[in-house]
Amino acid sequence: MAPLLRLENVTKRFGGLVAVDRVSLEIDPGEFIGIVGPNGSGKTTLFNVINGVYFPEEGTIVFDGRDITRLQPYKRAPLGIGRTFQIPRPFASATVRENIAVGAMFGTLSGRVGVDESLEIADQTIERVGLQEHKDKAAGSLTPVEKKLMEIARALAMKPKLLLMDEAMAGMHPNDIDQMVAFIKEIAQEEKIAVVSMVEHIMRAVVGMAERVIVLHQGAKIVDAPTKEALENPKVVEIYLGHPPEGQGC
Amino acid sequence: MSSKIARYYPLIPVYAAYLILFLIGRNVTGMWQLMAMLVFYCAIGQAFNIFLGMTGYVDFGYVAFMGIGTYGMALSISHLYQIEGLGMWVILIGAVLAILMSGALSVAVGAVALRLRGAYFAIATIGVNEGFRFLIEGAKIWGGSEGIIFSGQFTHIFGRKTASLISTTWADIFVILVACLGAFVTLRFMLGKIGYALMALREDEDAAKVMGINVTKYKIIAFITSASLVGLVAAFAWGLKLTYLFPDEIFDISYTVECIIIVLLGGAGTLLGPVAGALIYGLSKYWLTIILPGFQLLIFAPIIIVIVVAFPEGVVGVLKRRVRGTVLEKFIV
Ligand SMILES: Nc1ncnc2c1ncn2[C@@H]1O[C@H](COP(=O)(O)OP(=O)(O)O)[C@@H](O)[C@H]1O
Ligand SMILES: [Mg+2]
Repeated sequence: MAPLLRLENVTKRFGGLVAVDRVSLEIDPGEFIGIVGPNGSGKTTLFNVINGVYFPEEGTIVFDGRDITRLQPYKRAPLGIGRTFQIPRPFASATVRENIAVGAMFGTLSGRVGVDESLEIADQTIERVGLQEHKDKAAGSLTPVEKKLMEIARALAMKPKLLLMDEAMAGMHPNDIDQMVAFIKEIAQEEKIAVVSMVEHIMRAVVGMAERVIVLHQGAKIVDAPTKEALENPKVVEIYLGHPPEGQGC
Repeated sequence: MSSKIARYYPLIPVYAAYLILFLIGRNVTGMWQLMAMLVFYCAIGQAFNIFLGMTGYVDFGYVAFMGIGTYGMALSISHLYQIEGLGMWVILIGAVLAILMSGALSVAVGAVALRLRGAYFAIATIGVNEGFRFLIEGAKIWGGSEGIIFSGQFTHIFGRKTASLISTTWADIFVILVACLGAFVTLRFMLGKIGYALMALREDEDAAKVMGINVTKYKIIAFITSASLVGLVAAFAWGLKLTYLFPDEIFDISYTVECIIIVLLGGAGTLLGPVAGALIYGLSKYWLTIILPGFQLLIFAPIIIVIVVAFPEGVVGVLKRRVRGTVLEKFIV
């Protein structure tokens, strides 16, 4: 099976700082991957490079068989790349329903659905993620956790092939995280979406659900292995010294 | 089906306001000029709202599109008056020319300035109207700094009586029609995909891009639409009404400022906002001119700043929140 996403030696610098350092990775359709790395290890930048906010200085990015290394970001969403932001970026004055409809309208269904169908898709997605009671509120008035949920819904309404979630569960109650992750996994399986979930700390729930874990350290990929193996890797244990992996013996 | 029609209910209060202004103007002696001024403010507010209100970008050179639109009408009448039997067509040609010329200028300005973000765009547009005036005056095109006085040709085409009727009455009625058109276009935008795209880019341009929105394309569409509409307003309200133009008058930045005030006062990005803004602004300006001639701006400026700071959503923005959940909700957007 051809990978859905392939990064080859991707490097992104900010001045002298190498934020993403020769990262190569492959993600298969429908895979559920966790990317972990401490604060500043380049996770968000990696997402920004994948969805075109920044172009990498070196390397290539191939999505669904197409070289997208220098493709404008707005052309990537219709190919099937959806994301959520670490710091939520709702369209604040619009309602939750309208926000999510934007996802449907300009995602992979772009050009095939009009406003009405998009609003229908938004309603279905809202139902699915359980935002019914907030649907007509201004997105800016939501709590941070609700905003994250709304962003997930907005990205799902894009009907993506790849969903990039940047610290999507940060700030959520552990019980909610379990639920949320199980729920995303369920939708992803149903709709055959590959999910890449980024987390700073090795959260049991997120990592436990992942089939594979990639560890970033100072911009470079240091581990890429099936979950169990990755968590036992001495390099990982070393990085997280002082942050012993949750759920491992405690 | 009925819900499809219900989407257009928000036009009712807007058109009702125009109708009331028209009826007062027709039936109360001495009121036509005031009503015409208010409708003019409604029309330019409506046009500018499509850009400023819907994209959140401020164009300080906006009056350039009004100036160039006026030239469209002036050039049509002053060049074509000798063609026999052209009659009313000369006005239509002038209107089309106004739309094309202001549209073309907006493409030129937009192609350069719309690459810039927010405040940088605003700064880049500051000199556009003055620059254009200097170009016309310096290159001595279209009459240079003398402008174009085309009342003679205008009378030649229509005869004294009809010409006067067109200038004193029909020009204003055409402005009302353009104001109607402006509201209709605004609502169509709001209801369509473009409305969602503009909302998204106004709120967060980078997030909008990542969500798949070609922000440049939608900004340019809004810009051209807004510019051609305001060019058309000026073609009637200035060109056809006055039958002369002087570059230093029609490129005066104070009209840009008035547009901005009207849109912000009424509620940027709302449909009824420009109407509310135009009425509040126009009436208070008129009233202040009578009670304190010469001082109106001095008093006005701080009042407007206070209002805009206290109600950033504008009058209609506040109203919209108030009527949420009531029957009025369908009518006020
Ligand atoms: N726009 C930017 N300009 C300059 N440096 C940046 C920028 N974005 C991120 N960085 C730097 O790149 C490194 C990686 O940051 P980031 O990708 O946000 O890491 P993470 O998401 O893993 O916390 C950090 O050192 C950060 O300061
Ligand atoms: Mg980050």
